[in-house]
Amino acid sequence: MANLVIENVKKRYGQNEILKGINISIETGEFLILVGPSGCGKSTLMNSIAGLEEVSDGRIMIDGQDVTFASPKDRDIAMVFQSYALYPNMTVAENISFGLEMRKVPKEEREKEVSRVADMLQIGHLLKRKPAQLSGGQRQRVAMGRALARRPKMYLFDEPLSNLDAKLRVEMRTEIKKLHQKLGTTIVYVTHDQIEAMTLADRIAVMKDGEVQQLGTPQEIYDDPANLFVAGFMGSPAMNFIPAQVVEQNGVCALSLKTQSNVVLPFPKPDALSGHLGQTVLLGLRPEMITEPQPHKEGLEFVVKADIEVEVTEPMGADTMIVTRIENAEVNCRSNPAYSAQPGDTIAMMFDTSKAVVFDCETEERLDK
Amino acid sequence: MSNIAKRQTSTLDKVLRVALYVTLLAMAFVYLAPFIVMLLTSLKDVEEIRTGTLLSLPASLDFYAWGKAWSGACTGGTCEGIAPYFLNSFQIVIPAVLISTIVGALNGYVISHWKFRGSNFFFAALLLGCFIPFQVILLPMAKTLGWLGVANTTSGLVFVHVVYGVAFTTLFFRNFYQAVPAELVKAARLDGAGFFTIFYRIILPISTPIIVVTIIWQFTQIWNDFLFGVAFSGFDTQPVTVALNNLVNTSFGGKEYNVDMAAAIIAALPTLLVYVLAGKYFVRGLTAGAVKG
Repeated sequence: MANLVIENVKKRYGQNEILKGINISIETGEFLILVGPSGCGKSTLMNSIAGLEEVSDGRIMIDGQDVTFASPKDRDIAMVFQSYALYPNMTVAENISFGLEMRKVPKEEREKEVSRVADMLQIGHLLKRKPAQLSGGQRQRVAMGRALARRPKMYLFDEPLSNLDAKLRVEMRTEIKKLHQKLGTTIVYVTHDQIEAMTLADRIAVMKDGEVQQLGTPQEIYDDPANLFVAGFMGSPAMNFIPAQVVEQNGVCALSLKTQSNVVLPFPKPDALSGHLGQTVLLGLRPEMITEPQPHKEGLEFVVKADIEVEVTEPMGADTMIVTRIENAEVNCRSNPAYSAQPGDTIAMMFDTSKAVVFDCETEERLDK
Repeated sequence: MSNIAKRQTSTLDKVLRVALYVTLLAMAFVYLAPFIVMLLTSLKDVEEIRTGTLLSLPASLDFYAWGKAWSGACTGGTCEGIAPYFLNSFQIVIPAVLISTIVGALNGYVISHWKFRGSNFFFAALLLGCFIPFQVILLPMAKTLGWLGVANTTSGLVFVHVVYGVAFTTLFFRNFYQAVPAELVKAARLDGAGFFTIFYRIILPISTPIIVVTIIWQFTQIWNDFLFGVAFSGFDTQPVTVALNNLVNTSFGGKEYNVDMAAAIIAALPTLLVYVLAGKYFVRGLTAGAVKG
């Protein structure tokens, strides 16, 4: 049973095309995250799913029903807003039960539902308060409670955590994930935080300029990005992009670049490079694939050692980021904190290209798909 | 020994402070003086007014002038005081204030949260209404009232004040509702509430400050209006401002300044009272939304 189907949805404001033909389809119970920089159209798409904005073209189906022109209240969805949007004149209990009241649920059932939701979110002691008397985290919980009370077909979350401080955000992130595991209801969640996207999603739709750049599981997006934008957007610190020349070594294509020494890196899919022999391409390599020399990786097929000059070191506790410059591109390497280096030192690092990807310098598309 | 510096109050500070209070008192007196003169004059008899100065105190408290102004003074043809016209004013003001406030609230709600094609133009056109001088519309409005069959009636005056007031009330409510997050309305729509339910259950309960501001503003405007009152009222529907004018201009023999003053104070009392009772909301409402909180 396909739960949410978005077919070629377009949204125009005058000459401006905000959504340029979005196609997404997810199953019941999936956690879909729409992620992208501000202005990419993710919130517009969310509002279109909710029915708060009319689409200019295309079709939206929920549970097999065409809801493209249905009013928000007939779509049986609940939404949690970034600003929480709690009704300021009502108590927490009234906020939670308002949706039920509008759907003419009898008072007794409403009270039962409020206490069920309050137990689930541990906000029982707040029920008589007004939103103004709550902290940010408590408001966030009440906003979720309001969405949960109606037991809708689908939840929409519009950047629900971005107004919380860092610690609370991580806590609530885990809580949302637990909640989803418990309820198993379909969730569409908008964020610009790629860590939230990675940790929560079953599937991620990376958006830019009103188009879906890639739709896939978090691991697919991380390991197998469709283009330079997706590769650069997901992951922190971001993937390194190093200009490299395609050369031939032992009869197969490889990538040559200049660190403190000249290195030739083997590439897992050499055939993808054969058309670009002699040209410069962008090598995409995650920071964790450039490490201090590790004995257990010595001699592996796609592992090469090379010297680099340390520009900056950034200790992060678990790892130390070593920043260097290769072919005029800044490169982050993730090393063991014990492998100490000072700025200006030349040290040996291990390049592992088993998960490397390459992009065209001009079109920014993947070359080895 | 504590080494926290004590705040020094120098002689200069004290002198400046006294100067400040003297200035404030002087300003307050300048503003209050006309009212004091009115009050004093209304309590004197005609003889005292003629012989004494403006600020001299009455020899005895004499409320004769107040009684006459209320129920005996002549306003043009009749001599029933301003009481009947006082009532007329209320019959005009109460419905006009209520209707223009309700319409303004609905307009503001629509313009800020249910935008439609051309809603900005609609708002701009309404705003223009704030800048049209009263005199300009006298003739067309008289025509319109005649055409509607409500010329010289209380309903006609209510209609004029509502039409004129809606421009201002819409502006007030629209500006207030602009600061109400759009997500509140969206959330309510998803919860299944409709246009009027959202207005009644969510928007109106948070509108108290702006409702008070609007009511004070409209009450003062309509109660104090003279031009529409004199142009569009009939003989029995004149508001108190028109009656006051007639009272002052009608004299048999000597001019009774004490009665004039008493009548003027009576005519001004309702607006004074409204301001005293709701004034703190007025100041609060005008600055509402300036600071988030």
